[in-house]
Amino acid sequence: MAGQVTSTGRTSELSNLQFALLMALPVLLFLVLVVAYPLGYALWMSFQQIVFFGGYRTNFVGLANYATMLGDDKFWWSIWVTVRFTVESVLLAMAIGLALALLLNRPMRRPGLIRTIIMLPWCVSLYGTGIMFSYLATGQTGFATAIAFFFGADRPVSFVNRQWVIEVLAIGNAWNMAPLVAFFLLANLKTIPTRLYDLAAIDRMSPLETFWNVTLPPLRFTLFVFTCITTVLSMKLFDFIFVLSGGGPGTASAVMTYQIYKISFRDLNLGYGAAQSFVLLFLIVGSTMTLYALWGRREAAR
Amino acid sequence: MQRRMTLWAWLGIAVAVVWTLLPIYWFLKMSLLTPDEIARFPPPLVPLDPTPAAYFNIFGFDYQVTPELVRRASGQAGQIINGLINSLIVSIVVTAITMLVVVPLAYVFARLDFRFKQALLITILLSVALPPVSTLIPFYALYVQLGLAGTRFGLIVVTLTITIPFVTWMLIGYLRNLPPVERLARVDGYTRLETLVFIVIPLARSGIAVAAVIAFLFAWNEYTYALVLVNGTPANTLATALSGFLFQHPEPSHLAAALVVSILPPVLVAYFLQRHIAEMNLVDPIR
Repeated sequence: MAGQVTSTGRTSELSNLQFALLMALPVLLFLVLVVAYPLGYALWMSFQQIVFFGGYRTNFVGLANYATMLGDDKFWWSIWVTVRFTVESVLLAMAIGLALALLLNRPMRRPGLIRTIIMLPWCVSLYGTGIMFSYLATGQTGFATAIAFFFGADRPVSFVNRQWVIEVLAIGNAWNMAPLVAFFLLANLKTIPTRLYDLAAIDRMSPLETFWNVTLPPLRFTLFVFTCITTVLSMKLFDFIFVLSGGGPGTASAVMTYQIYKISFRDLNLGYGAAQSFVLLFLIVGSTMTLYALWGRREAAR
Repeated sequence: MQRRMTLWAWLGIAVAVVWTLLPIYWFLKMSLLTPDEIARFPPPLVPLDPTPAAYFNIFGFDYQVTPELVRRASGQAGQIINGLINSLIVSIVVTAITMLVVVPLAYVFARLDFRFKQALLITILLSVALPPVSTLIPFYALYVQLGLAGTRFGLIVVTLTITIPFVTWMLIGYLRNLPPVERLARVDGYTRLETLVFIVIPLARSGIAVAAVIAFLFAWNEYTYALVLVNGTPANTLATALSGFLFQHPEPSHLAAALVVSILPPVLVAYFLQRHIAEMNLVDPIR
């Protein structure tokens, strides 16, 4: 051991910053290459008109792509659909996640098996979830139809229609995200000392009061963080929606990611798509900042 | 809280299990139906005559139901097998590269203090927020010019932009909560690199295993990039092979069987994840 001290004495004098750079620099370079560079490139593209046919060409058009957006009804509609889908998904995912966590925190038989089952949806791919829910919710093959006929109905029950498609999407998305929320909340719940529940019982608190005063306080920061995470995940979600509804029926579920996909890779209008993708990125970052300002800052200071 | 399980708790667990398993059951059921049963309306709640034919068909085998009745192999079996192989290659390579890159990166962020740390951390968290559709636009333009569209290599590079930031974030939270071993290692004469390789990594192996599993899951479940970059090319993954089925609707039981095959690896790791996922602290790095 003593020999090692002398032989390695020189390198261990590296400062934290130097060591950090040595470890992280190659990686950060890679991240810059695969994240920052495409972002910059996309920003540049959003000022161009890009032509694929007859050879790849770009024409500088300044802010024209952004100006087009202002008068584009589909763009404004997609923002509204995204907001509605995101709010519903987040509320559902957080509520279901919390309920699952409280349930899993109780003593039970075969906890490993039950927890594995509860974990499953998060492991299933989003496109897989999309395929499953499309078959589950449409009239021809749906679960609701099977149940309705069991009770004597005579026509299919479908939820993939203009009125309900966003709710179907939000439920499917919540189905997929809730386990992640549940397992992190569960970890928090386990840290609450049993003694506190005994004290609450001595104080004759009702179950609701116990939940509000004993269970909830230590969960609050985690709840905030996962509200942010589920918001980001819902706003940037594409594959699930693409598979389940393809933005339809009509444009009923054309969220921003779907619009961007369609503009960029169907219409091959990459400049306009890039411009819209910056609006989406701005919305994502903006909503997490807003959540932090309104809620997170208070919780973090607690 | 050594309370007895009440009726309500039982009911709650029953509801949670049904909620979770219903979509999966509905599909599992569909993969076992005969073509007649699938065409039937209203859809049956249970397969009356379950047959594993679809699982043989999607891998290119005929299935003898009765001496007269043979269910023919799927015409897309080649795509499915090819997709399965590509998915495995891409996922394994992505996982390996991700772990090589992420462990030192997360270690540095979790255990050392240095200038610009906060700003760099925010950059990593921000890149988690990037929508895949936006990242795709520049990559697509670039790949078209470089001829990388439709290659596994191209897909691997793009997929790393999802796995690296997220897994780094998870591991930072995990590594922060390890006991403070660095000083002791220093006293024993280890350099920082040796500390990382010989002390921290063995100590953190369960967290690193969880991170690797999650990287694999993300790569395995990736669809958006594959749809645009490799769909319809020899580099197609299982996900895009499936969507080929979905949009052509030749045989729903084949789609269902292929989907069940695609969720097998995730189901196998669910038991492992439910025990360990909460060790990965997503909350700490933000606080």
